[in-house]
Amino acid sequence: MMLMIDRRLFGEIDWVLLALILLQSLVGVFFIYSSTHFLPGAYYVRQLVWIGISLAVLFLVLAIDYKFFVALSGYFYGLVVIMLVALLVFARIVAGTKSWFTMGLMQAQPSEVAKIVLILVFARLFAEYKRGYLTTSHTLFALGVAGVPLLLIVLQPDLGTAMTFLAIIGGAFLLAGLRKKAIVLLLLAALALGVGGWTVALKDYQKKRVTTLINPAGDPRGSGYQVIQSKIAIGSGGFTGKGFRKGTQSQLRFLPARHTDFIFSVIGEETGFLGVFIVIALYFVLLARMFLSVGKARDRAGVYIIFTATLLIAFQFLVNILMIIGLFPVVGITLPFLSYGGSSLLTTYVACGLVLNVKMRRFANV
Amino acid sequence: MSRERIYEDLTLVQRRANVVFWIFAGLLLLTLSYYWKVQILEHKKYLGMAEANRIRMRELAAPRGLILDRAGGKLADNRASFKVSLNRENVKNESVSYPAICRLLGIDEPTLRNRIALHKDLPSHEPVVIADGLTPEDVAPIESRRLELPELVVESEPQRYYPGGGLAAHVVGYVQELTAEEIRARPDRKVRGGEMLGRTGVERQYDDILRGQDGIAYDVVDSLGRFQGEQSRQYPLKGRDITLTIDPALQAEAVKSLEGREGVIVALDAETGGVLALASYPTFDPNRFITRFTPAEWSQLTTDPLSPLENRAIRGLYAPGSIFKLVMSLGGLDGGFVTPETTVFCSGATEIYGSVRHCWFAPGHGAMDLAAAIRNSCNIYFYSLGRRMGIEPIAAAARRLGLGRRTGIDLVGEKEGLVPDTEWKSKTFHAPWFPGETISVAIGQGQLQVTPIQIAAMTALIARRGRPVQPHLLGGRDEPKTPDAPSPVYALTSFESVIEGMWRSVNEGGTGAQARVEGFEACGKTGSTQTISREAAERLALAGHPVKTHSWFSGFAPRVGPKIVVTVLVEFGGGGGATSGPIAGRLFEIYKKELESR
Repeated sequence: MMLMIDRRLFGEIDWVLLALILLQSLVGVFFIYSSTHFLPGAYYVRQLVWIGISLAVLFLVLAIDYKFFVALSGYFYGLVVIMLVALLVFARIVAGTKSWFTMGLMQAQPSEVAKIVLILVFARLFAEYKRGYLTTSHTLFALGVAGVPLLLIVLQPDLGTAMTFLAIIGGAFLLAGLRKKAIVLLLLAALALGVGGWTVALKDYQKKRVTTLINPAGDPRGSGYQVIQSKIAIGSGGFTGKGFRKGTQSQLRFLPARHTDFIFSVIGEETGFLGVFIVIALYFVLLARMFLSVGKARDRAGVYIIFTATLLIAFQFLVNILMIIGLFPVVGITLPFLSYGGSSLLTTYVACGLVLNVKMRRFANV
Repeated sequence: MSRERIYEDLTLVQRRANVVFWIFAGLLLLTLSYYWKVQILEHKKYLGMAEANRIRMRELAAPRGLILDRAGGKLADNRASFKVSLNRENVKNESVSYPAICRLLGIDEPTLRNRIALHKDLPSHEPVVIADGLTPEDVAPIESRRLELPELVVESEPQRYYPGGGLAAHVVGYVQELTAEEIRARPDRKVRGGEMLGRTGVERQYDDILRGQDGIAYDVVDSLGRFQGEQSRQYPLKGRDITLTIDPALQAEAVKSLEGREGVIVALDAETGGVLALASYPTFDPNRFITRFTPAEWSQLTTDPLSPLENRAIRGLYAPGSIFKLVMSLGGLDGGFVTPETTVFCSGATEIYGSVRHCWFAPGHGAMDLAAAIRNSCNIYFYSLGRRMGIEPIAAAARRLGLGRRTGIDLVGEKEGLVPDTEWKSKTFHAPWFPGETISVAIGQGQLQVTPIQIAAMTALIARRGRPVQPHLLGGRDEPKTPDAPSPVYALTSFESVIEGMWRSVNEGGTGAQARVEGFEACGKTGSTQTISREAAERLALAGHPVKTHSWFSGFAPRVGPKIVVTVLVEFGGGGGATSGPIAGRLFEIYKKELESR
């Protein structure tokens, strides 16, 4: 099964998509530079290194038939659950949550790995499912499989990743086909879970983030501060922006998490609506090309991989650009390709790698 | 792998995937439209908020206008001084930062905390001035610790400086920092930290002119309020310079003459009413108000029984004594109670309304006409005139000559004095006027109260033969012109008679003889006012504790075409002729030389 890439397969790689991915990543590097050039640490160089590493991993993913990953997904699943449990038990607390393993200079985030594993597990779970609609037992089984890592991630707590999980689960269910009754039931369950979670599980700072969404001015110094400053940055950018490295909100550090979660605010401030439009358009073309690849998949597992992997990126993208303009609670979701950070970049590239992998091997058994 | 699995039917899932994609696309479009709303439609609002974030306005002190004497000498100057302010926003830990600041500035911590508490109502980004009047050497150690103490701001700003110290303190006045109460009392007004306000004297009177207009610097700050550079600035406009009528030589002499005494000297330009010299003693150093007092210094200054802060020229109330005989003469001549030829015999004492009244010259002056009575300042003559006139004509004459009301000099706080009459007596004491009181008033005693500036203005009016002038300090091109009076207050002949007596007093061995200046034709009148009753004074003198009288001299020179009026009052100075006369003489002398050298 395991095939090294041969010439013919090499020619089947969607180079346009790969170019779009790299282009978007380089846009990110520019604005990481703009928002950190006055800080020590050369963040943009580190990001370039991460892009290189991620690209290498992407090609590694391409080299191996996705069916192999799907076949091994059960083992991956077991491993990632063990990692998540270990994390809760051992990992040192970083930034108030337990989501980081420290491994020398490199830091691995098991919940990022879990996203990829979930994509593969679901591909396997639904690959053999050829009915038009999901049955109750199958739904519950899939929920159970996804629920274990989800619960472990909620316990960290990493609300952003948990939400991304929910998006992947929901997307997979939609694809498999949900009856109206099931949709209503799931929504009711989600509502019950939401209300229950709000009163029992959510920490105060998380609740505050939700209430702040409704009234950011209610807490301008606390959690509302980020959203207010971000909105000021974006709004003050106007149509053409203040110019590269000339955004006052970012350069004078009024904007929080400039190079990570709020990188798009920097783009909005320094390049204005024009820049926002271009980056969103670029994103749209990229995601459209990925989504519409479902037609190129040779089997059901491939469809699920392309769809959920693309949804993973699309969901994070949408939530991030809604979050920084105050339309969604600040949940710590990065902007794929653009935000600084190796872990999320690597996850994104692996997801893209899976999509390219499926697309590349659309002709069966060649 | 079988062929059927290669060609399995995926259209259903692919169609569902497409539906999800287009839902996503729709959401993206909605999101983009919201970005349009924020970035294009609400751009102005957010740009304003971004500017408010990064721009902090800083007031730039305008240098006050200078105050110059008539020769262009600086009575109030500005010099560069450094001030250290505390930016409370940047204080991380008071218990570390405050002791460090105190060590650097050499102050104790309670003082520092008091200063900060004083300004607790100011917004926290407004710096509080904690030390000023510093030299470059003082601030060097602070500058070198800038990084350790980012909460300290060192700025250079113009500071008021009075080169003459106490020389013209009561004329120039002083400036002082606005107090917390004053800042609170005027919430409409933007107050700069450490802003100075003219408190007394010319500094207060012409504060609006001298103040100038503060500038604004628009500083760029980062999210921690740290200074990042200056965006632009509106430069401060320096206040206008003011030239006073003060003559530096006369002022210096006046202050010198009063040294070690309590008293007042006022010299007016007889032609314009401009104040050539105004000295009130004891005096104070106005520079001390700028560099802030210690509480001990302040209480010493305010509780000093000699009240050095009081401007006695406009606020000191004294009995005019024999100076009032000029009022009696003019009023008497006008009302026909006396003529220049009216003669009275002085035997040294006389009995009026059943009590014996003495002349100051016990042997008696003998028979005298009006001019001789003024020359000798004979009490008997004026007792007699007072009895004939009665209080109402006397009070009317006093008011006509400017007593009992402010002269209107351009200084704040001038007092009115008091001209008593029957109406005043019944209003104040609900008692009738007794004729005996008239006799006291006739020689300038009793309830009469005048300020030295009133006496100077009255003397100028006499010198100008009934045409008043407005005493004023503002000189140079802003100097107010006294409009020419259409007709004199009294008949010219009356003035000539009185002036004849004043001339004789100085030039023919009268009481004012010591004010005589060869070739300057000075005319004057002396006064020695009792501060306690004559009987009590005599008793104390017998017991070996002589109580001296206040010593007056008021006169002008030359007799024809008068140029200068000088009024001298020395508290407890003894006889007017002996103490105040020579002082006036020296001032006449100096001014005569000045006039000759012009």
